[in-house]
Amino acid sequence: MKVQGDRSFAAPRESVWQVLNDPAQMANLMPGVESFDIHDERRWTANVKISLGLGSLGLKIDFEKTDERQPEFARLHAKGSGIGAILNMDTQFALAEQGDGTTMHWEADVHIAGPVGSMGQRVLQPIVNQQVQNVLNALDRQVAAAQTPR
Amino acid sequence: MSETTTAPERPVTVEADETKPGFIGVSVPRKEDKRLVQGEGVFVDDVKRHAMAYVHFARSPYAHAAITSIDVSKAMELEGVYGTLIGEEVAAQTDAFFQIAPPPGGHVRDYALAVGRVRHVGEPVVAVAAATRELARDAADLVEVEYEPLTPVVDMERAADPGMPVLHDEVGSNVIWNGQFDYGDFDAALAEADKVVKIDRLHFHRFSSTPLETSGALVEYNRGTGQWTIQSNNQFPGFAVIMMAPALRVGIDKLRFVSQDIGGGFGNKICTHVQLVALCLLARKLRRPVNWTEWRTDQHTANSHGNERVFLDVEVPVKADGTMLGFRARMIDDCGAYTRYEPLGCIIWAQVTPGAYRWRNVRVDFTQVCTNKSPCGPNRGYSRMQHLWFTERVIDIVAHELDLDPVEIRKRNYIRADEMPYETPNGCIYDSGDYARCLDEALKLVDYANIEERRRDAEARGKLFGVGIGSTLDSGTNNFGQSTLVNPELQFSGNNEVATVKLDIFGEIVVTIGTTPQGQGHETTAAQVVADMLGVTPDDVNVRAGHDSYWNSHAGFSGTYASQFAVTGLGAVKGATEMLVDQIKRIGAAVLGADSTDDVFLEGGFVKRKDNPEAALPFMACGAIVNANNAVLPMEARDITLNCRYVYVPPHQLPDKERKYGNLTLTYATQIHACVVEVDPETGEYEIIDYGAVDDCGVRINPQIVEGQVHGATAQALGAATHEVFTYDEEGNLLTPNFYDYHVPHALDMPPLKTGYIESPSPFTPLGAKGMGEGGGAGLSAVCSALQDALKARGGAIVWDSCNPPHRVWEMLQNPEQSRANVRVENM
Repeated sequence: MKVQGDRSFAAPRESVWQVLNDPAQMANLMPGVESFDIHDERRWTANVKISLGLGSLGLKIDFEKTDERQPEFARLHAKGSGIGAILNMDTQFALAEQGDGTTMHWEADVHIAGPVGSMGQRVLQPIVNQQVQNVLNALDRQVAAAQTPR
Repeated sequence: MSETTTAPERPVTVEADETKPGFIGVSVPRKEDKRLVQGEGVFVDDVKRHAMAYVHFARSPYAHAAITSIDVSKAMELEGVYGTLIGEEVAAQTDAFFQIAPPPGGHVRDYALAVGRVRHVGEPVVAVAAATRELARDAADLVEVEYEPLTPVVDMERAADPGMPVLHDEVGSNVIWNGQFDYGDFDAALAEADKVVKIDRLHFHRFSSTPLETSGALVEYNRGTGQWTIQSNNQFPGFAVIMMAPALRVGIDKLRFVSQDIGGGFGNKICTHVQLVALCLLARKLRRPVNWTEWRTDQHTANSHGNERVFLDVEVPVKADGTMLGFRARMIDDCGAYTRYEPLGCIIWAQVTPGAYRWRNVRVDFTQVCTNKSPCGPNRGYSRMQHLWFTERVIDIVAHELDLDPVEIRKRNYIRADEMPYETPNGCIYDSGDYARCLDEALKLVDYANIEERRRDAEARGKLFGVGIGSTLDSGTNNFGQSTLVNPELQFSGNNEVATVKLDIFGEIVVTIGTTPQGQGHETTAAQVVADMLGVTPDDVNVRAGHDSYWNSHAGFSGTYASQFAVTGLGAVKGATEMLVDQIKRIGAAVLGADSTDDVFLEGGFVKRKDNPEAALPFMACGAIVNANNAVLPMEARDITLNCRYVYVPPHQLPDKERKYGNLTLTYATQIHACVVEVDPETGEYEIIDYGAVDDCGVRINPQIVEGQVHGATAQALGAATHEVFTYDEEGNLLTPNFYDYHVPHALDMPPLKTGYIESPSPFTPLGAKGMGEGGGAGLSAVCSALQDALKARGGAIVWDSCNPPHRVWEMLQNPEQSRANVRVENM
């Protein structure tokens, strides 16, 4: 399933870029992250637990940054597996300056296989939407925190 | 389920005054039922062996993906895990399964486990064997398989498009088979017609049957003899061994198939040879018996589904009086990811090319494609159900568009009883039947005479009211020569079945049959036939339960499938019993001093002299003499064994490969159903408020068993018509993989079901009986027909799909123009 959207941040593009490209800060963006291992600047692994309403789904997700043009564009591939589900996701975002702030256009192509996949898009779409919203809200907070003088 | 069995007012036999002494035609209690209702049946999962392993298949989560690596080490670390089997081992130790299709479709390479690539969700990838079923399942979860996802092919109508991913590289495209069928003169029919009704698209959905018992097997390997004993619920061992033996690189004598009780087959259990080969390899590798019982979700996800089919660009030439001259259509059939019984479905529909109608001009372009969905195969009414639904949709749509009465147009076009036996345009011979009379009986069952009054009553309550008709011809006793019409190189034709009947040392009458009964009551009906011929009662006849290919009651086509036991199985029983009768009479004549066998008769377990019935020799004495005291016999009677084996071979001919012409099957049982619905126009919810099913399967050996088959087939049809559907998303995920989403009707879902019958004996079969039990398709058509009638009052939507849950009915109510745009009438 494909999801996409636009988001505005009251922060310079460089700040947003730094949050999005720092694996450690990325870990804080993702809901349900239980542990996070950084292999190098392009590859990292997250163990997450995603709520599915009736239960939760544990996934080990390997991320790899496959393309980037600092400070405006990056593409990531994520591959996750867990009991009952296999996740494949290609996601990308593009950052543009807008006055003092930044706009982000993002896209994600999410493929879920396994018994969880058989729940189908009708069930999974709202869950994915909710997860995306959580990520974006966390991104807002991270960007805001990055702007706050320490 | 409420039910009423209604006998027609007219005599049920063709010869009105004929009386039928004996047990044929009597609903004697089923011999099998005592053990079954007491829980003493022996199903495959009841059979245990010392130190046996339980097998679980790790299955593909992807519809289409390359396998990049398989790691079973974590699974093997679990205590109690005995071993695993992966695709590479299978590819090394077996050959790919024999393919029925000609090249290029025949280039499909199908193995017992996925080799290098998975092509549907649920495809077995690794087999894991462990000490318990639960452990095997847990261990399978620890198998690590790396996949590289590929784009799946999900839409059958686009599968053959250029640029689509190809499932089987060796085939070169997703087209498995394509053929043209041209009978009569369709162009002349168009020229003769007053109108042509054109239908852009009709769709028959993907669903399946749901046997109570899922597939399973217990497989043992004898290292000394190199033989496997396969205790399974496979319903067609004759086909299984043809597939398995070459794959395993052994002769079929190395494969012993055994079954006792089977909890329903419906065709689902024909193509289990794939899993059975994996089990054979595991049993040999691990040196221990292996047991596999399919989980219900796996049965839904990856067992044999029924074929999905679309009918495109349909043209129906019609005369002004409603006489239909034939049809032209382009048909696309989806066989799923692998061809395991396919592409036989590409010809089996042609057994019923014109349906129940006198349509002489037919032109069909038939294509079968593969997609990334569960493989398809035989499913109760296999391939004919789709086609017969099409013929019934055609006649109802023509009636709708030309404002003709659905009853009258059927009667105008039905093949008439006085035309039987009737040769169809493609050379099939409909043996007997009276469709118009069956329709009258069905309409009586639903009180059709008062239907308009009931319609007014329903409308006064705010309901839409509809009555519909559906028919099927349950064609049975295949001529396997039809396979040569899809692949001229095949060397199959005819059919056969075996039975042995013997009189043992203490007078026991023992019958063995080659079939693999799955609940059809073979023990009972075989006993009825034998009892009548030997002059005893069914209680005196011991029919061995189940099947064992070591019993020597096994022929190339042994099994229970394609509506044939009443012909092939009982034909073999009758033939063997005739031999035994003759031998008993010879013993009796010799011992009683009669001049010839014409001077004695059998009665009550004795051979008696006709001129002096007091002079009688008990069967027990016959058995004892031949089996244990045969030196008393004169030399000319020493050839008597009282152990008689007979192979029934139906009178089939080779079909004409060039013309795709010939008699493809022996018998045609008739089903005409009538359905009455009330629809809530606000929600599309509907209720079947009345239902009548009339069956004509020739001579009914045991009417109660026939009745049971009619009930079961009707339930299957109504489930499929109203809600059972295998739905896939665009990723090839099955969205209805279990009972949570795939609702099989239970008793409370069934409408009041009234049944009736007539008997038109087959002139071609040993007992005048016909195979039956696959006639549920009539229900699919009847529901569609009734819904279309009901929707006529609200926009006149055209019912175009075989599955119509309330949401689809609601859509047709909301937007009738959408379905109406599918159909038009052109004046010629």
